[in-house]
Amino acid sequence: MKQIKLNYLFIALAFTVVLTSCHKDKIAQNSGSPVPQRAGLYVLNQGGFGDDNSTLTYYNYATKQLIPDFYALANPGKQLGDTGNDIEIYGSRMYIVVNNSNVVDVANAKTGVLIGQVAINQCRSIVFNGSNAFVTSYDGDVQVIDTASLTITKFIYVGRDPEQMVIANNKLYVANSGGLSSVPDSTVSVISLSSFAVENSIPVISNPVSVTTDASGNVYVLSLGNYGTIAGGLTIIDSNADTVKSKPAVSIGFNVPMTNLGNQIYFPTADNKIAVYSSISNKIIQTNFITDGTVITSPYAIQADPTSGEIFVADAKDYSSDGTLDAFNSSGKLEYKLTVGINPGKIAFVNK
Amino acid sequence: MYLRRKSGCFVLFLIAVVVPCKSFAQTDTTKKLNEVKVLSAVTPNLQSIVPTQSISSNDFIRYNAFNVADAIQDFPGVIVKDYGGIGGLKTVSVRGLGADHTAILYDGIAIDDAETGQIDLSKFNLNSIQKIVLYNAQPPDICMPATSFASASVIAITTVKPALTALKPYSITAGIKAGSFGLINPYLQWQQRINNNWSFIVNGYTENANGQYKFKGAANYPDSTMVRKNSDVSAQQIDGALYWAKNDSDKFSLHINYYNSDRGLPGAVIYNATPSNERLWNKDIFVQASYKKIWISGLQLLVNTKVSQSYLRYLDPQFDNIQGELDLRYTQQELYQSVALAYHILKNWEISYAFDATLNNLSVLFNYPDPIFPDPTRLTLLNVFASNLVLGKLRIEGNILNSNITETVKTGNAAQPRNIYSPTLMATLTPFANSDFQLRAFYKNIFRDPTFDDLYYQEVGIPDLKPEYTDQYDLGATYSKTLTGFFYYVTVTADAYYNDVTNKIVYLPSNLFPQSTVNFGKVDIEGLDVSLKTQAKLSENTKWLLSANYSYQKAQNVTDPTSSIYLNQIPYTPKNTVALNTGIDYKDFGLYYNQIISSSRYYTNDNLPYDYIPGYSVSDASANYHFIADNKPVIASFEVNNLFNQSYYVVHDYPMPGRSFRISLQITI
Repeated sequence: MKQIKLNYLFIALAFTVVLTSCHKDKIAQNSGSPVPQRAGLYVLNQGGFGDDNSTLTYYNYATKQLIPDFYALANPGKQLGDTGNDIEIYGSRMYIVVNNSNVVDVANAKTGVLIGQVAINQCRSIVFNGSNAFVTSYDGDVQVIDTASLTITKFIYVGRDPEQMVIANNKLYVANSGGLSSVPDSTVSVISLSSFAVENSIPVISNPVSVTTDASGNVYVLSLGNYGTIAGGLTIIDSNADTVKSKPAVSIGFNVPMTNLGNQIYFPTADNKIAVYSSISNKIIQTNFITDGTVITSPYAIQADPTSGEIFVADAKDYSSDGTLDAFNSSGKLEYKLTVGINPGKIAFVNK
Repeated sequence: MYLRRKSGCFVLFLIAVVVPCKSFAQTDTTKKLNEVKVLSAVTPNLQSIVPTQSISSNDFIRYNAFNVADAIQDFPGVIVKDYGGIGGLKTVSVRGLGADHTAILYDGIAIDDAETGQIDLSKFNLNSIQKIVLYNAQPPDICMPATSFASASVIAITTVKPALTALKPYSITAGIKAGSFGLINPYLQWQQRINNNWSFIVNGYTENANGQYKFKGAANYPDSTMVRKNSDVSAQQIDGALYWAKNDSDKFSLHINYYNSDRGLPGAVIYNATPSNERLWNKDIFVQASYKKIWISGLQLLVNTKVSQSYLRYLDPQFDNIQGELDLRYTQQELYQSVALAYHILKNWEISYAFDATLNNLSVLFNYPDPIFPDPTRLTLLNVFASNLVLGKLRIEGNILNSNITETVKTGNAAQPRNIYSPTLMATLTPFANSDFQLRAFYKNIFRDPTFDDLYYQEVGIPDLKPEYTDQYDLGATYSKTLTGFFYYVTVTADAYYNDVTNKIVYLPSNLFPQSTVNFGKVDIEGLDVSLKTQAKLSENTKWLLSANYSYQKAQNVTDPTSSIYLNQIPYTPKNTVALNTGIDYKDFGLYYNQIISSSRYYTNDNLPYDYIPGYSVSDASANYHFIADNKPVIASFEVNNLFNQSYYVVHDYPMPGRSFRISLQITI
C-alpha cells in the first residue's frame, strides 16, 4: 500500500503528478470519415508519473483478446516510456504522444510496429489536418509535423502549458492551461489552418484542459480552475464568431475527459457520474448517462465511437494499480469491462 | 555564492581546530602511548525484552558501512529503500511499516521531520558515531523521553563520548576516505579532557563526490552501459559536544550539530527524459542538552531539551511554469522539552513518568504568489506512565502513552486536535534454571501522525486525515551461550510477528478535489526474523566471526476484498531477505565479507510482470589493518562494494552502482 509517498526529495515530483499526470487527456476527433468496421481498440495507459511504464493495451473485437502491452509486443526490446498522454490514429498510422519521454511515436496502426519518432519536448496532445499533425508542447507552442517526412515544419507560439486541441470551422482551438503555475492560464488560442497563425485568443474559465466540438461547430472547453479559490467549469465557444457563447453551471471534478457524439457532449461531474450536455436544448439532459447502476471510481478517459454509438469510460481506480475500461451501449448499459493498465488516459479505435 | 562562503568558513574552522591541536600534540610526544589490543569476544546482548539489533563503530568496516543506512542494512526486518549512489535518499522500513513509523534518536533525542516524517539516513556520516541500535517497539529502559515510547520502532544513534584519562587528556583522530564516485571525505575528531568533570569532543567532516556511476538495465536500452549524472554531493558537518559528569549518577551534556549539503538529484531513469538539473540544499542546525541524575533513594531524573532549525531548498531550473523554474524553500523549527522520572518502589518494581512537549513549525518560501503550505504549527504533548516488574523468572514491562496534538495554520483549516491513548505490554520469561534460553513477547499499539505534507501540502494534503495506526504482536525466543572452547559464544534469536496497519495514509489523487491524501489502506504483515551470531577462535591469533540473518515478510494489502489488488504483496517488500556477514581477524589484520540477498519485489500494488523488480544478491568485501606508526595507532582499510559488479535496482528506475572502491586511512594522536 505504499504508494506515491511524499518525501522531500520527490516533493516536486508529487506536485507535478497532481498537475500533469492527473488527467489532462484529450478527446479524439476522428477527423477521418466514420469507418464501418472496427478491428478493435487501443487504450493508452499513462503508467505512474516517473515510473517509465506507459503501456498500450489492445483489445481485439473479433477474438476478444486483450494484449496488455501491444507496443512492447510489436517492437521487441522497446517500451513506450514515461506518461503516454495521447494516441490518435490517422490514416494507416497511429501517433502516440509520450509526454515525459519527449517523443511522438509513429507506428503502423494495425501492427503497432514503429515507423519513426519525432522529438518534442514535453509533448501533450495531437490532432491532424491534411498532411500536418499538430502537437502541443509545454514549451508553450504547437509544433507542426509534416506527416510524410515526420519532421517539424513550424512552431506556433500559444499560451502556457497548452493541452488539448480541436478543429472547428477550419480553425485549431488550443486550450492553454498554464496548469504548472499557481496562476493558471485562462485562454483558448485560435489558429488559422490556412495561415498557421494565431488569429484570436478567447478568454475561458481558468486552467482549460479538455476540448471537443459538436455537429453545430461549437467548441466545448473544460477547465480545472486553480484547485482552490477558482472553480473549474465548462465554457462553450461559438466558432463562427469566436466568442464565448455560454458557461453552463456544471460541477467539475478532478478528472475532465470529454467526448462528443453528434450533438451530445459527455463528461464526468464531481460525483463521478457521466453528464450529457445537448447542443440542441443547450442544457444538461442527463445527469448520469450510466443507467444500469455501474459505478465509476475515477473516470480518467471517455470516448464515444460514432460508428456504434457506444461510450467507453476508462476508470483509473486508485491511480496506482491497473484500471478498467467499461463499454456502454448508447442507452448507458454496460456491455463489457476490460482490465487495462495504470492510469488509462486515452482510447483509440482501429479499423480492419 | 552563499554556499561557497559557508564552505570557506568551514575550512577556516577546521584549520582553527587543527592548528592548536598539532602544537598541543607536539608538546605531548614524550608521553608513552599504549594501545591495548583486545582479541577477546564479548557476547552480544540480544536477549532483551524486545528484539534488539546493534552495531558499534568497530564493526562498521565489516559491513562496508559509509553511513547509517549501510550500517543497519543487515538487521533482520529492516529494508533500506535506497535510491542509489552516494547522494541518494536512503530510508528504512522496519517490519513492513513505512519509514515514518521508525523514530531516529540521536543521543536519546528524536530527530524529527514534521513535514515529511522521513529522515534520510544517508546524511549521517559514521565518523562520529559510536553505536547504532534498532529496537522493535521501543528501548527497554523505562526512564526515557516520552518520544521514545511513541513509535513502532526506534533507531538509537549514540555518538562517540570522550574516554580520556588525566595521563592523556586529549585524543585527536584524523582520517580520510576516498574512492569511487570521486569521493573525498576527510574527517577529524578532537576529544579533550578539561578536568575531572568536564570534557568535550568535536567532530567535523567534509564530503565531496561527483557521484557518477555506470549502470545497466534502463528501459529501451537494457544492455547499454549508461552513466548516472547530476549526482554530485558536497556536504559538511560539524558536531560538538560538551560533557560534565560528577559521577555516573550525575551527568550533563550539551550538543551542537550543523549540517550543510548541496547535491544534485539525478532523478528516475526515464526513456528519453530531459536530463535532470534538479538540486537540493540542506542547512540543519540543532542544539540539544541532556541532564541525568540518579539518587541513592532510587529516584532517577532525565531532562532533555532541544532547539532545531532545518532548511531545505529544492530547485528544478527547467520547470514549465511562469518563472521557468520550481524553487521551493522550507524552513522547519522545533522546540523540544522532555522530563522523565523513574523510581524503584521495590527492588523488583520500577515505575516511571515522562512528559514531552514539542512545538513544530513549518514555513515555506515558494516562487509562486500562493503559499504552498499555510504555515502549520503543531504542539505535541506526550505523557507516559511506564512500569517494569520482575517476578522470579518473569519480567513484565508496560506503559500507557497519551498523545495530545493540536495544530494551527495561518490560512484554511487546521487538523482537528487529537488525543490518543496507546498501550504497550512486553514480557520475557526465563523458563529454565540458567538464563541461556529466554522467551519474549510484546504487544504495541501506536500511530504515526499525518505529516505536514499529508495534511497541508497544497492540492494534495487534507487536514481531516486520521493518524495511521499499527498494532504489533511479537513472540520470540532467544538462546545465548558464552563458551570457552572453540567458540566464544553462540547467540540465536527468532521472532515471529504480526503487524496490522489501519487507516494507512496513501497518496491518492481523488476526483473530489482537494482530497488527495486519504486514510485508505489496511495492511496485514506476517513476518519472521531469525538471527545467528557466533565467534570462534581458529588459532591463538585468529578469530572468526559469523552473523547470519533471515527475514520473511508477507505484507498484504487487505483494504478492499473486491479489489484486484486484495491480498497482493505491498510494494517494495521482498518476501525473503538473507544477510550474511563473516570475517577473520588475524593479529592486526582483518578480512570481511558481507552478502545481502533479497527476493524479488513489486513496485506497485498490481504484482504483475510489469511491476516486477528482480531479486538481487550483492556482496561487499573489506580488509583493514591496524598498525603503529611513530607510536601512533593507524588504521588503513580497503573496501569493495558490489564485489561481483551486479546490476540491480532497489527502487524502480533508480539503478544501484556497480562495483566500487573505497580506501580509508585514520591516525589517532
